[in-house]
Amino acid sequence: MNWLYDSVEPRVMDEDLLKLAVGEQGPRDEAGQLARQEGILFKDVLSLRLDFQNILRIDSLWQFENLRKLQLDNNIIEKIEGLERLVHLVWLDLSFNNIEAIEGLDTLVNLEDLSLFNNRISKIDSLDALVKLQVLSLGNNEISHMMNIIYLRRFKDLRTLSLSGNPIAEEEDYKMFICAYLPDLVYLDFRRIDDHMKELAEIKHQYGIDELKQRENLSQAQLDDERAQREELEEHKAAFVERLNGSFLFDSMYAEDVEGNKLAHLPGVSELLQAYKDKFVIICLNIFEYGLKQQEMRKVELDTFNECVQEAIQENREQGKRRIAKFEEAHLLSLNAIRDESEVTNLEMKVAEHSKDITELFDMLMTLEMQLVEQLEETINTFERNIMDLVALFIENVQSLMAQCRDLENHHHEKLLEISINTLEKILKGELDEDLPYDVRALFVDKDTIVNAVGTSHDLHLLKIDNREDELVTRTNSWCSHLVDAIHKDEIMRNRRRVKEIHQYVDHVQNELDNLECSEIID
Amino acid sequence: MPYPELYNWDSCAQFVSDFLSMVPLPDPLKPPSHLYSPTTVLKYQEGNCFDFSTLLCSMLLGAGYDAYCVNGYGSQDMCQMDLTRDVCPLTVKHQEVVQEEEKVPPKKYAIKPPRDLTSRFQQEQETKKQEEIKAEEERRLREEEERLLDVEKAKTDPLHGLRVHSWVLVLSGKREVPESFFIDPFTAHSYSTQDDHFLGIESLWNHKNYWVNMQDCWNCCKDLVFDLGDPVRWEYLLLGTEKSHLSLTEEEEDGLNDDDDVENLGKEDEDKSFDMPPSWVEQIEISPEAFETRCPNGKKVIQYKRAKLEKWAPYLNSNGLVCRLTTYEDLECTKTLEIKEWFQNREDMLELKHIDKSTGLNVDYFKPGHPQALRVHSYKSMQPETDRIMEFYDRARVDGLVKREETSKTMTEYYRGRSDFLFYRHVSFGDRVKKLSLNSAESNPRPIVKITERFARNPEQPADEDVAERVFLISEERIQLRYHCRDDHITASKREFLRRSEADNKGNKIVMTPDMCISFEVEPMEHTKKLLYQYEAMMKLKNEEKLSRHQAWESELEVLEILKLREEEEEEHRLTISIYDTKRNEKSKEYREAMGSPQADPPPPPPPPPPPPRRVMHEEHLRQVEAPLDYLAPFLAQLPPSEKMTRWQAMRVKDECLSDIKQRLIDKANLIQARFEKETQELQKKQQWYQENQVTLTVEDEDLYLSYCSQAMFRIRILEQRLNRHKELAPLKYLALEEKLYKDPRLVEFMKVFV
Repeated sequence: MNWLYDSVEPRVMDEDLLKLAVGEQGPRDEAGQLARQEGILFKDVLSLRLDFQNILRIDSLWQFENLRKLQLDNNIIEKIEGLERLVHLVWLDLSFNNIEAIEGLDTLVNLEDLSLFNNRISKIDSLDALVKLQVLSLGNNEISHMMNIIYLRRFKDLRTLSLSGNPIAEEEDYKMFICAYLPDLVYLDFRRIDDHMKELAEIKHQYGIDELKQRENLSQAQLDDERAQREELEEHKAAFVERLNGSFLFDSMYAEDVEGNKLAHLPGVSELLQAYKDKFVIICLNIFEYGLKQQEMRKVELDTFNECVQEAIQENREQGKRRIAKFEEAHLLSLNAIRDESEVTNLEMKVAEHSKDITELFDMLMTLEMQLVEQLEETINTFERNIMDLVALFIENVQSLMAQCRDLENHHHEKLLEISINTLEKILKGELDEDLPYDVRALFVDKDTIVNAVGTSHDLHLLKIDNREDELVTRTNSWCSHLVDAIHKDEIMRNRRRVKEIHQYVDHVQNELDNLECSEIID
Repeated sequence: MPYPELYNWDSCAQFVSDFLSMVPLPDPLKPPSHLYSPTTVLKYQEGNCFDFSTLLCSMLLGAGYDAYCVNGYGSQDMCQMDLTRDVCPLTVKHQEVVQEEEKVPPKKYAIKPPRDLTSRFQQEQETKKQEEIKAEEERRLREEEERLLDVEKAKTDPLHGLRVHSWVLVLSGKREVPESFFIDPFTAHSYSTQDDHFLGIESLWNHKNYWVNMQDCWNCCKDLVFDLGDPVRWEYLLLGTEKSHLSLTEEEEDGLNDDDDVENLGKEDEDKSFDMPPSWVEQIEISPEAFETRCPNGKKVIQYKRAKLEKWAPYLNSNGLVCRLTTYEDLECTKTLEIKEWFQNREDMLELKHIDKSTGLNVDYFKPGHPQALRVHSYKSMQPETDRIMEFYDRARVDGLVKREETSKTMTEYYRGRSDFLFYRHVSFGDRVKKLSLNSAESNPRPIVKITERFARNPEQPADEDVAERVFLISEERIQLRYHCRDDHITASKREFLRRSEADNKGNKIVMTPDMCISFEVEPMEHTKKLLYQYEAMMKLKNEEKLSRHQAWESELEVLEILKLREEEEEEHRLTISIYDTKRNEKSKEYREAMGSPQADPPPPPPPPPPPPRRVMHEEHLRQVEAPLDYLAPFLAQLPPSEKMTRWQAMRVKDECLSDIKQRLIDKANLIQARFEKETQELQKKQQWYQENQVTLTVEDEDLYLSYCSQAMFRIRILEQRLNRHKELAPLKYLALEEKLYKDPRLVEFMKVFV
């Protein structure tokens, strides 16, 4: 195949080539004339044909942001690249090139029709992003392994597939296999698959398909589970109490606590630890439930607020629209009247009158807007106060619960210390019956060591609890302030937009009047 | 009775009042000396108030109501069936119940309304003034009403309270009647028991008993208590078991009847309880024709206050008119105000024609099914290009047209459910350009001045590109576009094109210039500023303008077509006749007659009938084949074709025929027996097999076996039944045939001799 191109130099895709192509394929006749006059921006082009150009490398296409259809067939392209920006692409033709691997298509999520006919592809992959794919042409390639078909099962919309001219098409089971594993396919190698064939294929490969389906279902279920878990965690995070519905915090307290774990070997400590853990977890659960409840309350509050604000804005908008509609009627009438007026004094009077109308409209609209702003501000302030109160209450309660945790820890610490000292005394007296592991025994050298060890463990625990509390409090507060900021900002943006809109409209109307006046005076 | 319409009291009463014509009592102060039975009343189709209520009461009792005939006193209007002081029920407008909107409690964050700065004093003054005006108006209205009432008030009746009337009382309890009420059988109106028209009750009766009212009627019927079990208030005549003790006796007044019509001539004076004599009155029967014709001779006229109601039986009038209500302006009924005509069975589905004489407005209402999907057509004249409104069944139309309003210069169309979101099109026409008389009016359409089209929001497009209103100013060669408003905006984009023809006067091609498109955009975008974009938009609009003009033209044509069609329909006024109506439907009748001639041997192949009547015919065919089978034919055919049969031959024929049927009956019995045995055997086999394999059977097999068993048992039982029946019927059949043969005209003479 290459002999054709041997004599010709490969071409570079540059600005000129593209301009030429765009110009040639652009609008014709009068429209073309206009287009030439103004020049066509690359980003307005929807469809581009670049076939038989001896292109070696895809390049310079990034400007065609809105391209829907791109033809690059019959070139000598070796690698798919430079298409990342063409996210709106629906139709891509890369047939009759020298491509060896499918790649660089990960951003083309809208692609429906992909042709890679007559290339050197040996493996079907890297198509995961093309969820809308309907037509896939891979004929005359070097695909040799049947298992490539199974990859295509993920495209739920795939209806047309061509694979003729590949090594796998020679296999005797080729058609049956495809029909069985891609049951939604309608056309294979440009022929309609008849129902009879489908049934046969299904029967033949039932075993394999069932197994495959089973596997797919399993992995799907797993994915679903994971997603559900993630979602749940997200939800808890939004309530700032994630991982408090169990012993996670407690476990994390002991995770890095070397001394604490060592001391657990002392007689009586394990029972103590168990009791401590139980109580601790109960408090954690309390915090967790309280957090979820508070989150619900905050949400309700926010929803009511949003609803009310939306209602107010809608109401205001309706009023504005009515005003404008009314004005527009009057505007048209008076413009006509002005147009028909011949006498200069009358004309001037009418123009002045109309100008006054316009100013009036402007004032009216601005008053409406100002009124809304005032009303909203008041509401927003109320809401701000309420949500702040809610958050403060939440933090306060959580803090008191956390204080209980700390008390528990202190209590536990005292007990532990007592046991430790007792043990130490026993050891010193040599009365200890049980065998302690060596590293534990190492702690019981003198009183300072053991007190220090217990103290470190205690400090670590307190630190963990403090950290968790701090995290919760900071996050809650920052969420609150963010929310309030966002609301204020939104309101300001809304106000600016509306004011801008009003100005724009009034300017336009005024312009219309002025233009009329000018032409009138010229006449 | 086969008419479901007669199952409810209101339609039943309506039927009675329609079906009978009223004859006044010979003496308005005395009850009649004797009563007719309901069947007699039905036959004569006329009667006095007692006959009316007897019939109605019988029918209501038959329908399960707790109904009684009442002998009492009524007002003059009621006794004489004078409705001229009543408002016609058809003219009473339904008062629409205004549903009160639920007040939503103000939400927590609802914004506060802007402060009201108007003076309260002024407001108060204003309301005071308003109230005064209102009071004045009300007073005026009241005076007016009183004046009117005075005019309408009837002169007082000297015989008030003495006029005898009979009506029907329906007591609560049965058939979910919540409250007792009266029905006046003349008018079929229902009244509460408190009504002013009923001035007193003497007695009540129904098919079970007769009660005499012991209560004082000084205050009409308002204080009466209808507790028939209370012997102080209601004296019963016959002792009975129920709350109402049965039996009746009264010299002339012969008791009443129910469905089976118990009438009591009872003069039996042996007191104590005695059984009601069984009814000797025949069952009430109403032929379908009579039921359909309703009124005597199919026509009835009722005079109401300022209204006249005429009723006809369906198919009596060739144009399908069944009811006409004429409303008058004055009490004397001289000035017509409006006419309403109801039609039935019209082929053009016309249902109601409403003619308003004061405005000259005609409104036709159609049922679904008009060829042009017409629903309402209101017009003043049938001339095209005049004021008219046509409403359509939009689901039956491809273009979703709901309504088309026309005036002499404009045409407005409303659409619903279109895929292009068009819901409104307004076309203004200019004056017709005078042309040489070569062309007729039709080929000279009025020039279109302006087309306005409005579109609903297309959710798939951004608001800035979704056209809300499109105005083609054709004479000015301008196109105005107004786009939809964005969700959070109060202004909408606008665009105006100065459309010019392809080439100017000198034949030069027009080139698009920036001043040909004036636009206002809420949010200016880059690409829309380009001339190319504007040019393309304009070209597209040009095409669309052409299409819209074509549409307008087609609409005009359609109006003409509809008007023509309507005129034709009015002239022809064909009626549809159900194919099951064999009396009226010519085709069905033909087939029926074609089938009618009885033929013993295979009837001639019927002419291929159109699909629907085929079934009717087929059924009839079957019936006929069943009836006149000639049993003797095969045996007679064996005889030599001599003209006369000898007695011996006759005897032989008879014997052969009888032995043949005997054989057949035996064969049949054997066949059933054989099948029965076979089935039983099979079942036994299966049971055996089940016993043997019971342990190894799977659940499915067992289910299968059980279902087989139940089916087999069923079959066996049926066979058994058939066998038994056959055994019973066989001798009868044999005897029947023998009898038939004895009576057979061909054999009868020989038999006689033989006997």
